[in-house]
Amino acid sequence: MTKIRKYTPFTRAGIMESVTYRANFLFFLLGEIMKCFVMFFVWKAVFDSSDSETVYGFSYDNMVVYLFISFLSGYLTYSDGSYAIGKEILDGSVVMRMIKPIDFDMCFLFQELGNKIISFSLIFLPITAGVEVYRFVVNGRLMLDVPMLLLFLLSMVLAYGINFFFNLSYGFLAFFLKNLWGTDIIKGAVVDFLSGATVPLAFMGGFGYVLQFLPFASLSYTPVMIYMGMYGVWEIVFYLGLQVFWLVIFALISKLVLKLAMKRLVVHGG
Amino acid sequence: MENNSMIHVENLHKHFKKAIKEPGLKGSIKALFKPKYDVVKAVDGIDFDVEAGEIIGFIGPNGAGKSTVIKMLTGILTPSEGFCRINGHIPTESRKAYVKEIGVVFGQRTQLWWDLALRETYMVLKEIYDISDEDYTKRMAFLNEVLDLEDFITSPVRTLSLGQRMRADIAAALLHNPKVLFLDEPTVGLDVVVKDNIRKAILRINEESGTTVILTTHDLEDIELLCKRIVMVDKGKKVFDGELSTLRELYGQMRELTFELASEKDIDKLTYSEKFNFAEDDFSIDAKGAEVKVRFNTDVASVEDMLSFTLSKVHVKDISVKDADIEEIIRRLYKGGGEIS
Amino acid sequence: MRKYLRLHRIFIAQDLKKLMEYKVDFLMGAIGFVLVQAVKIFTLGIMFSAIPALFYKENGTIVDAWTFNEVLFIYGFSLIPKGIDHLLFDNLWGIGYWTVAKGDFDKYLTRPVNSWFYVLTEKFCVDAFGDLFVGIVLVVYSVISMPAEIAANIDWLRLIPVAFVIPFAVMIYTSVKTATAAISFWTKRSGHITHMCYMTNEFSSYPAKIYNNVVKTIITYILPFALTAYYPAIYLLRGEYPFHLLLTVGVSIVLFIISQLVWKLGVRSYESAGS
Repeated sequence: MTKIRKYTPFTRAGIMESVTYRANFLFFLLGEIMKCFVMFFVWKAVFDSSDSETVYGFSYDNMVVYLFISFLSGYLTYSDGSYAIGKEILDGSVVMRMIKPIDFDMCFLFQELGNKIISFSLIFLPITAGVEVYRFVVNGRLMLDVPMLLLFLLSMVLAYGINFFFNLSYGFLAFFLKNLWGTDIIKGAVVDFLSGATVPLAFMGGFGYVLQFLPFASLSYTPVMIYMGMYGVWEIVFYLGLQVFWLVIFALISKLVLKLAMKRLVVHGG
Repeated sequence: MENNSMIHVENLHKHFKKAIKEPGLKGSIKALFKPKYDVVKAVDGIDFDVEAGEIIGFIGPNGAGKSTVIKMLTGILTPSEGFCRINGHIPTESRKAYVKEIGVVFGQRTQLWWDLALRETYMVLKEIYDISDEDYTKRMAFLNEVLDLEDFITSPVRTLSLGQRMRADIAAALLHNPKVLFLDEPTVGLDVVVKDNIRKAILRINEESGTTVILTTHDLEDIELLCKRIVMVDKGKKVFDGELSTLRELYGQMRELTFELASEKDIDKLTYSEKFNFAEDDFSIDAKGAEVKVRFNTDVASVEDMLSFTLSKVHVKDISVKDADIEEIIRRLYKGGGEIS
Repeated sequence: MRKYLRLHRIFIAQDLKKLMEYKVDFLMGAIGFVLVQAVKIFTLGIMFSAIPALFYKENGTIVDAWTFNEVLFIYGFSLIPKGIDHLLFDNLWGIGYWTVAKGDFDKYLTRPVNSWFYVLTEKFCVDAFGDLFVGIVLVVYSVISMPAEIAANIDWLRLIPVAFVIPFAVMIYTSVKTATAAISFWTKRSGHITHMCYMTNEFSSYPAKIYNNVVKTIITYILPFALTAYYPAIYLLRGEYPFHLLLTVGVSIVLFIISQLVWKLGVRSYESAGS
């Protein structure tokens, strides 16, 4: 308990930072959600153009839920510790963190948790409420399933953990590369694609089936499918287990990369 | 009408609206719903004039409003009230025509392009200021001689040392032969030799081109070596405007008596305050072991009285009397914050 | 004007030199931009593999339809004005994100040049080659692989007015960025407002008819990105909406004037930083 208490000031700082820049955050969010609305109309036209009610097993209202919930989970589980760490490594200020008697990856984690608390309280309710109202209007009955919602939240927490350690490992690349933004754009595009953030993996046939087992699907696809009620009980257990598995793997990888990077830093410092 | 001075500043004000934030989490959340504002009078009615060819020291403690005045004089900020006129221009009204006639150096941040080689930076400036090839060559030769740019003119700006960068920045501000040069802390962070070179360069440029110079600095040696006249501001108001020698006369009645006691215990015998009835501001004593420093106001006690009193009470090994230096004077002014007329 | 072009040339040369110095970074960035577009095009491909063409229906009857090639063409076309603005005028982003907040805007005001032009000339953003490359490839590919009966609608003479309109389309992007960046003169930071308005351009990459009236009005008149892509592209393909080309010119000029006014007013309120 005392160990965690050491990091709570970082969470407070994260909360205060998010409150200070809340207006910026909301404008940024409105810009990002614009993409959802573009796809909302494009998919509407696609479903209108199709002879059958469903496309690849998704109905149009499935698709709408998918678009907005995957946006929500993508936004809330996104971690940009990589960028912050990379920048500190490049300008050398990471040294200031290393001389303090705390784990510096945990500082980032707890600070980001502070940001997430604010973004969660600002966007979770409006988006889920919007989606549920939409589903209610389309189906004529309330579709919200409370146990599923709780499992969805649990899956999102796991997804965030994987994201955090994955990005942390990536951020340590800054020890080896001069500049991170180019690879950052590549990473973004690849992860978006492989995690099903742009198109549901179910639309990609056999290839999509394989992707479900990769860590990327754990980042966004799994929570969304749980929310939508697309998985049965055993599937839920399996995919949550898979998320835990990837979480452990990436936590270990990040420790390993950190160790390698530290060695290199010492060599640098001469 | 009556004044043809190079720089004329009249009743200059600058007010900023500042959000008040209470400390802590609660404060930030309160600010979310009910932001409060405060009006800060950064510059609160300042007047002064500068003649062509003068070097003026513009000084004041941190947060006094110096930079805000400089930014209004250089056309970056628009005054809230009052105006300044430099060589016939109101800076924010004819900005482009105006800034052609001035050069600006901010010591804290460079105005050069980080990635360009220095020579290319000057080529860019040549375009920006429409300098003819002939003038450019002549001017570069002069600046090169004064500021010694030759060694690093082909290096990218990001690789220059602080001293080189400052020389490069000053040259960049002078390339178009401006009538007025604004120098905001030109010697900050530099070593003694570089400081000396830069001061010499500023003096030469002032003499040879007749450039009017406005200098802000925290280094009082800059002031002593470069400026005849200073304008001092504090809390947005002007607190002194005049020759450096006037300042010295005004506050120059202070003297410093230094001596070494034969026996450390004798210090108790030196009852100056009782003897001469000094007010708090007029006297201070500072003893480190046997070394004693006494500062006193000669209007209250003459040097002769002080010396004979000291010598009558104790045995001393060594004794000297000094004028209070300008730094001491300014320290007293900053502390007092009062207006001197 | 000549002065600005000469200045721009110096910075372009410099940025190209830097590009040679940091080849790997540039390559990574360009690959990244191409990948981002590739993922979007893959999504389009998946959509079209489920349908014969994109239909627009009113009361159940088909009113308009676009083939995959046509949608690709519109999509590719939209990247061209966007890419040109990105290539030449990217420096405006920094104004709202950090330049004004940090007080670094000072330097643009101590020079005898128009501060807006000066900001524009200072950067040449080579990353934009990724967008431009994808845009041109898509336009060319979609035309080459077009079924003959669709290609028959194209009259290449229409390319002349469309090419004429492209600079005005670029001006729409630049003006939106200028006006929103200038908000930072009052609020210190406005990069996120620029981001929000800029993202509206995502609507312009698809046929405007598929949107509802609110969206259509916004993207035609308020943040008129549809005028930069859909309307000129569909005019080139089919000769529809000839008058929207005039609208592009007119609206872009109005927007430009508004953005300049906002900028001018903003500079007067600029507060610099610190004291």
